[in-house]
Amino acid sequence: MERRTFLKLVGLSSLFAEGAFRRLFAAPQPTVAVARGKDYARTTRSALALLGGMKRFVKPGDVVVLKPNMGWDRTPAQAANTHPLVVRALAEEALAAGAKRVKVFDRTCNDERRCYVQSGISDALKGMKGVELKFIENERFRRVPIKGAVLPAWELYDEALSADVFINVPVAKHHGLSRLTLGLKNVMGVMGGNRGSIHRHLDDALADINSVLKSHLTVIDATRILTDHGPQGGSPADVKVMDTVIASTDIVAADAYATTLFGLKPEDIPVTVAAHKRGLGEMNLKRVRIVTA
Amino acid sequence: MKRITSARISQLLFLVLFLVLFINTEYRGRDEINGAVNAFFRADPLVAAAYLLAAKAFTWLLLPAVLLLVATALLGRFFCGWICPLGTILDLLGGRFRRRGAPSLFTGNAKYWVLLPLLGAALAGINLAGLLDPLAILVRGLAFSLHPLLGDTTRGAWVGLYRVLGEGRDLLAPGYALIRDHVLPFRETAYPLAFLSALILAGVIGLEGCESRCWCRRLCPLGTLLGLAARFSPFNRRPEKLCADCRACSGLCPTSFDREILQKEECIFCMECAVRCPSARVRFLPGSPLAGEGPLLPQRRVLLGGVIGGLLAARFFRFRDPAAQARVLRPPGVRDEGAFLAACVRCGECMKVCLRSALYPAVLQSGVEGLYTPVLIPRLGYCEYNCTLCGQVCPTGAIPNLPVPAKKREVIGKAVFDRNHCLPFAKKINCIVCEEHCPIPAKAIRSRRVLDTDDQGRQVELLVPYVVDELCNGCGICENVCPVEGKAGIEVFAVKDRTPLREFQGPVPVEKGGDPYG
Ligand code: SF4
Ligand code: SF4
Repeated sequence: MERRTFLKLVGLSSLFAEGAFRRLFAAPQPTVAVARGKDYARTTRSALALLGGMKRFVKPGDVVVLKPNMGWDRTPAQAANTHPLVVRALAEEALAAGAKRVKVFDRTCNDERRCYVQSGISDALKGMKGVELKFIENERFRRVPIKGAVLPAWELYDEALSADVFINVPVAKHHGLSRLTLGLKNVMGVMGGNRGSIHRHLDDALADINSVLKSHLTVIDATRILTDHGPQGGSPADVKVMDTVIASTDIVAADAYATTLFGLKPEDIPVTVAAHKRGLGEMNLKRVRIVTA
Repeated sequence: MKRITSARISQLLFLVLFLVLFINTEYRGRDEINGAVNAFFRADPLVAAAYLLAAKAFTWLLLPAVLLLVATALLGRFFCGWICPLGTILDLLGGRFRRRGAPSLFTGNAKYWVLLPLLGAALAGINLAGLLDPLAILVRGLAFSLHPLLGDTTRGAWVGLYRVLGEGRDLLAPGYALIRDHVLPFRETAYPLAFLSALILAGVIGLEGCESRCWCRRLCPLGTLLGLAARFSPFNRRPEKLCADCRACSGLCPTSFDREILQKEECIFCMECAVRCPSARVRFLPGSPLAGEGPLLPQRRVLLGGVIGGLLAARFFRFRDPAAQARVLRPPGVRDEGAFLAACVRCGECMKVCLRSALYPAVLQSGVEGLYTPVLIPRLGYCEYNCTLCGQVCPTGAIPNLPVPAKKREVIGKAVFDRNHCLPFAKKINCIVCEEHCPIPAKAIRSRRVLDTDDQGRQVELLVPYVVDELCNGCGICENVCPVEGKAGIEVFAVKDRTPLREFQGPVPVEKGGDPYG
């Protein structure tokens, strides 16, 4: 299905009762794959395998976008950015599944050159044929009508919109305002314009964006998580090693599960609640199939 | 430039070196910068002289300059004919001008009236030498005007291609990435004084319309200084006068043969006369030092007048507007304004290298005496927490070259909330973008959870931010990212006491009220 038609359908179906919508699309039961292990590349692959492998999402010739969180001038150990090994494993899997090109980018908060280098992602992807680690170019933001609860329209990144497969690869970490930042918040990295201004109604705004930019697959890096002073942290005291990678086609379910790693409940995170209410996915973990490896 | 001589080859090599270093005065994926144009400034005796007089101290950073001065005293003013990139540019472009002859204003003592006031002002603690230093003129002209212009035009074309080709442009992306990463400035930055910087450079080049190397022999304070040293050189040209039967030298020599006898302090050792003398008579031979025409120093009147003029000028331009002054934020590690003005030669290196385009040349905000010195403008760019580039490239150590952990603790200023603009205060809207971006691990911006009523009478739970002064280093990222349009809700102001922050020992305990849900 074309993204556009799909979006229209989503828009239309949100007119129905949310329950009805969920039964239609996320039915019967979303799956969240949880893999654990110190070898992060392998852990990432196991999580994927539990969902049926990358081939389920990527068809030969596809253009795949990986959107890690690499917004900060911080090292992998500081847990502010997605772990480079997770990103690399996903890129390899996508290529193996036949992807024509894998594009990796993020609109960073600190200097983009430093972020790409310090995050370790630039090194991890070096020399991979078919993988492009690119800086954001302002001219590529396109104003997209959203007609959401709070955002009528917003500038979004063309390469994220036009990708055949959009894989959302956040790192699980604390955030001062949204409490945690996970998959739903990670899409802020493809927003243009004065994105800080959406903080005034962050939860609804993020639900709005996620309703037009659908993550086909969400892989949450919880190999180590930042438990305080997010989103950039900086102090090793705030970092907790979890050796966990979570994957799901249901972004809300993935976020909901990741929340439990912090000792919190999905309903504690307003963004998750807002997205669930909007029919973007399941947050009740009792209604989610959790498979582990 | 018709015949290729060793001097010509050397000139071209140094010009290329200069340009390569200039372009590499930029973040290249590594925390350390390997070679930057500051190498040229460290070998610049005018920079060294002004620094010595102004800071009244010596720094080993400037040792190469001392060596160059000694070499000049031994060999003559070879720097100008073999090395100086501005001189090379003049030689390359000069041929295109029709010469009108030197304006009388510039002949005679004019060059001392340029050099001496600069040194006089330096004695008074204001280091103005860089304003007219040839290398600084060139670097500033490139860094503030020409290089950004090149960047903007190329990028403009690239953006234009996107409008035409859309994502099809990606086919050309590798080629563009090559140019972007190796030739263009990374950011599109508009600098104040861009026009003036270009104008000064153009003016120097335009003087070629009067005579060849007009700037070098009539005005350049570095050349004048080198010329003074060159008088001590034991090398003398033979014959020292124009030969009556030929006089070809007067046409060949770019600088000193407009009189009968070679002007030793103006000879730049380009060797044109030696190479092209029709009867191969010219030799440069060791002989008596201090030979040559005229007194070593200019008349006492000029000497005194120049120095006193400089001293006075340094006093007369002291006025500073307090409101502007409050926002004069210096690069990280600069603790004292006076010491900074004495040490900074206004070469533009720090502003060229600044990762986030945070540093800009001061126009008048720090008074006339601060013209072209770097100030940080947080609304345009903030100081990146882990970056130490400006300290690495500053040739005089005006910005100290600190290891990363020390630099992080250096205080640039202190952030202050403006309750009339900051959203939680002014509009009862949650925001805390500043807190999110504050790079200090223990967070210099925190917030309290407060129950309040908004203007529609609804109960709201607000995160109300505050600054922890003991942790704020004034990097300016908060002001930079504040989503309030126009004037930010938080601003960094200069402070006198820039004692570095205490060493962080683990996380500083956070007031638990800071957590909205906890
Ligand atoms: S001002 Fe800060 S960001 Fe700019 S060069 Fe200096 S240390 Fe780097
Ligand atoms: S502070 Fe900047 S302009 Fe001044 S001497 Fe140092 S690098 Fe040059």
